[in-house]
Amino acid sequence: MLKPHLTRDAAEQYILGALAPEKAASLEAHTLECEPCARLLQEEALLSEQLEEVASAFPREAPVLRPARWDTRRVAVGAALATAASLALVLLSGGQRSTSPDAIATPTPPSLAGLEVEAGEPRTIVVACPDLATQASCTQSAEERGLLVQYPWGTGEVPRYEARTGLPEGALSARRPVSL
Amino acid sequence: MSAAVQGLRMTTLRLSKEADEPAEATAPGGDEALLSRRALAGDRAAWDVLVARHHRRVVVSLLARGVRVDRAQELAQETWARLIQQQQRGLLTELRLPNLALTQAAFLAADDARRARRESITGAVDELPERHHPVDPSVSAERRLLSEEQLSRAHAALAQVSPSARNVFLLACDGQELPHAEVASRVGLSVQRVRQILCEVRKKLRTALEEEPHA
Ligand SMILES: [Zn+2]
Repeated sequence: MLKPHLTRDAAEQYILGALAPEKAASLEAHTLECEPCARLLQEEALLSEQLEEVASAFPREAPVLRPARWDTRRVAVGAALATAASLALVLLSGGQRSTSPDAIATPTPPSLAGLEVEAGEPRTIVVACPDLATQASCTQSAEERGLLVQYPWGTGEVPRYEARTGLPEGALSARRPVSL
Repeated sequence: MSAAVQGLRMTTLRLSKEADEPAEATAPGGDEALLSRRALAGDRAAWDVLVARHHRRVVVSLLARGVRVDRAQELAQETWARLIQQQQRGLLTELRLPNLALTQAAFLAADDARRARRESITGAVDELPERHHPVDPSVSAERRLLSEEQLSRAHAALAQVSPSARNVFLLACDGQELPHAEVASRVGLSVQRVRQILCEVRKKLRTALEEEPHA
């Protein structure tokens, strides 16, 4: 006698890896003997794969931006809120401009391509990655570009080779397409 | 190009974070590059971590293709064995997971299906030459499963769930294969709750994907 048929719920739990090992094993055994249940399991698996696609293509919100030293420097916020494809960066300019805190949250128009860089040296480039959903990819992009990363728990130092390696920029960013 | 670039990319992120947080727990995505590099250098322990991380996804991708669950487990094992073998022979120049494993698995599944067909015709199993071809690591496993329309319906539905639920979903499904426990700790919820949320979002998206497109 076959064990009871799969519920969609059980199939879903199995796919999510949430079933206890014995339950998972008996579910597997059942699908080997029962074609409709095998199809149900396939449907759930396919849905999971589709959801991976949904997630990877979902336009991530630009991470919001809390530079490490925003009280001391003029901050230009390159808000890429509209241009969701681009990584939003906060550039902490080490320039001599006013330190008015009002400047902090001023979004720059999209025409600035999300970035505004002071001409003068030195400058510190800080990326804030507080958004949990995008933190890892944000961090990774930053790492690849040699930027400083602002974490909830502090600022991470990453090597800044972007302008100095002589590597074509495309070679760096093309290594790992980042969906933001 | 890759040697130089990799050397740079692998430089560890130095974080001034609490010491009690193990690196594995805080940056499973961040350590992927390092693990991949170690695996490419033949480090078995690194392979083990990567296999543990991505195995489930490989199995699920095979189930989604209609492979029986027992065979899916076997093919997933075979997938890793092949990749490790390719690495040992110096045939792997880069290791982008899960894509490379998904590609290898899809290849094995297709090969399996061909063999089954041939077997049913001739009654004999020929050793197919394709079985020995390594998968080109530069080939992407990306397989579009959804139409543009489905995708935009799903995105619209996803935009309507609460930001925290969306966060959980995006964390769990971003290809990094974060364990649910890790997702839970990042968002400050219980594993139980994370799974509940995932199921709820899943149901909404299922409905959105199934909607009949109207003419
Ligand atoms: Zn059944």
